[in-house]
Amino acid sequence: MTQDELLSKLASKLPRLEKASAQVKDYLTMRLPSADELVPTAKLLKEDLGFDYLEMISATDWLGAVKPEGYIRNPNPNIFLAEGATPQSIPTATPGFNYHPAFELVWTFASIADRVRFFLRLEIPRDNPRVPTLTGLFKAADWQERELFDLMGILFDGHPNLIKILTPDFTQGHPLRKDYVHIKDKYDE
Amino acid sequence: MNIETAEAAKEPRGVKTDTLFINLGPQHPSTHGVLRIGLTIEGEVITKAVPDVGYLHRGTSKLAEVRGYHHCVVLTDRWDYVSAMPNNLVFCLAAEKLMALKVPPRADSLRVIMCELNRIASHLLFFGTYGIDTGAITPFLYAFREREMVLDLFEMVCGARLTYNYIRIGGVMVDIGDDWVAKTREFLEYFKPRLDEYDTLLTYNPIFLARTQGIGTIPKEQAINWGLSGANLRASGVNYDVRKADPYSGYDQYQFDIPLGKTGSCWERYFCRVSEIRQSVRIVEQALDKLAPGPVMATGVAKVPKPQPGEAYAHVEASRGDLGIYLVADGQASPYRMHVKAPSFINLAILQEILAGRKVADVIAVLGSIDIVLGEVDR
Repeated sequence: MTQDELLSKLASKLPRLEKASAQVKDYLTMRLPSADELVPTAKLLKEDLGFDYLEMISATDWLGAVKPEGYIRNPNPNIFLAEGATPQSIPTATPGFNYHPAFELVWTFASIADRVRFFLRLEIPRDNPRVPTLTGLFKAADWQERELFDLMGILFDGHPNLIKILTPDFTQGHPLRKDYVHIKDKYDE
Repeated sequence: MNIETAEAAKEPRGVKTDTLFINLGPQHPSTHGVLRIGLTIEGEVITKAVPDVGYLHRGTSKLAEVRGYHHCVVLTDRWDYVSAMPNNLVFCLAAEKLMALKVPPRADSLRVIMCELNRIASHLLFFGTYGIDTGAITPFLYAFREREMVLDLFEMVCGARLTYNYIRIGGVMVDIGDDWVAKTREFLEYFKPRLDEYDTLLTYNPIFLARTQGIGTIPKEQAINWGLSGANLRASGVNYDVRKADPYSGYDQYQFDIPLGKTGSCWERYFCRVSEIRQSVRIVEQALDKLAPGPVMATGVAKVPKPQPGEAYAHVEASRGDLGIYLVADGQASPYRMHVKAPSFINLAILQEILAGRKVADVIAVLGSIDIVLGEVDR
C-alpha cells in the first residue's frame, strides 16, 4: 500500500485527522487535532481499519537546546584536547528553528495484515502535559507510557499503574526534558 | 480439636497455605542480568508477578543529545550487548535517512552478513542459557563452542568480540580481509550439521519437552495486543518479520522462510529461534554469493554531520525483535531527540500477565523463553 492509498483510506474513515506538516521520513505522518480525540481515533483504527499493533510511543520536548546542568559530569569530554583548551561545546539552539514550549507525542500504529504503519502526532502544552492513556486498547502502551512518564514527565490519564520505571526512586525530575537539571544524590562523588 | 485444626479441616484438601511475597533477583543467574520480579505466591501458585526493571539504566537517549552522530553509534552497542550489529545498523539507517545518504551495495551485503551472523551468535546464547534455565547444562557448552567461532569471525573483521561499532553511518567501518569469506564458508559448513546435534541434545529431549511444552502460552490476539515482536510474536502464529514486512538493506533480495508457531508456548518460542538459526545460515550463504567488489562507504559522509531539521524512523528485525529508532534533528551536530523502541523492554511487560496462575517452577522457563537482554530493557 502506498502512502497516498493509506492517506485516502484514513481520510475516508477519520476526516478529523490531517496530514502533518512535519513528516517522519518515508512514512505517512498524521496530526491529531486534540487530545480528546485520541482514544476514539485509536479505537476506530484498531477495530475498523485493522491497525491492531501499537508499535511505538515517543515524545519530543520542543523547548530548545539541552541544558548542560542536566548531566552529572562534563557531558561531552574530549581526552585528546590539549590542557587549557576550550572544551567542546554542547549543542546550542539553531537560529530560525521553531522551538516552542510544548511536548509532541508520536504514536506508531501498524497493521500486521496489511504490513503498513503510520505515525500520529499530537502537540500538548508543556505546563499541563496530560494525555489520555491507550492501555485500555493496547496493552503495549503500558510500559511505554510509564517510560515517557518517567523520562519526560507526561501524565497519561487513566493509566492503571503510572509509576517510575527506569530511573531510581530518588531521581528528581524528568531527565529527557530539555530543562532538566541534575540534583546531586547519594551516588554522586 | 482446637480452632486452627478445625479451620484447616474446612479447607478442601486439608491444606492451608499462606500468601508469600518473594523477590526473584535482582541478582539471580536465571534472570540474565539485573531484573527483579516481585512474586506473590500462594503455595506453589503465583497470584501476582511484578517485573521491576531499571537497574541497568544508563540513559543513552540523554547521552545522545550531546554527542555527535558518529559518537552515538558507540552508545548503540551497549543496548543489546549480545547482538550489537543490528543495534549499530538501526541507528545508522535512521541517521542515513536524515542525511539522505545512499549506502553502496557491498556495504549493504556486509551489513546483512554481519547481522545474520550476530543473530546466529545471539540465538546460540539463548539456546545454551535456556538449557541451563530448564536444567540442562551440557547444551551451553556446545552452543558456546560454536558461538566462539562466530565471535572470532567478528574479531577478524573489526577487532571486537561484543561491542563492534562496525556498521557506521554511510556504510561499514572497513572492508573484510581476503580470507574472511572462505573462513566464514568453512564455519557454515562446520556449523550446519551441529544444528541437528542440538535437536537430538535438547529440542526433543523428553525432560525439556515436559518443562516447556504447553507452558506460558500466549494466544495470537494477546501477543499482538501486548506489542510483542520477534520470535515471541511469531511463536504465537503471527507472520510478522520486519525483514519481510518493511525490508531494509536489501533483505527483499534474499530467499528465506519465517518459522512460525501455533500456540505460543515456551517450546514454540524456543523452536522458532532454533529454526531461525537455519534461516540465518541460508541468508549468509546467499549474501556471500552475491558479495560484489566495490566501495564499503558512501561518499560525502561529513566528519561532523549536521543534518537538516527533520525526523526519521528506522526499524530492523534484531535478534530479539523489532528494534526501532526515532531520531529528531534540529540542525545541530547532535540528535535533538533519540527514542529507542527496544524489543526486550516491550516483550518483558507481558510477563505480569502470563505468569499469574502458573507454578513457581515455570517462572524461569517462561522468563527464559521470552529471551530478554537487560541492557536493552533498561538502555
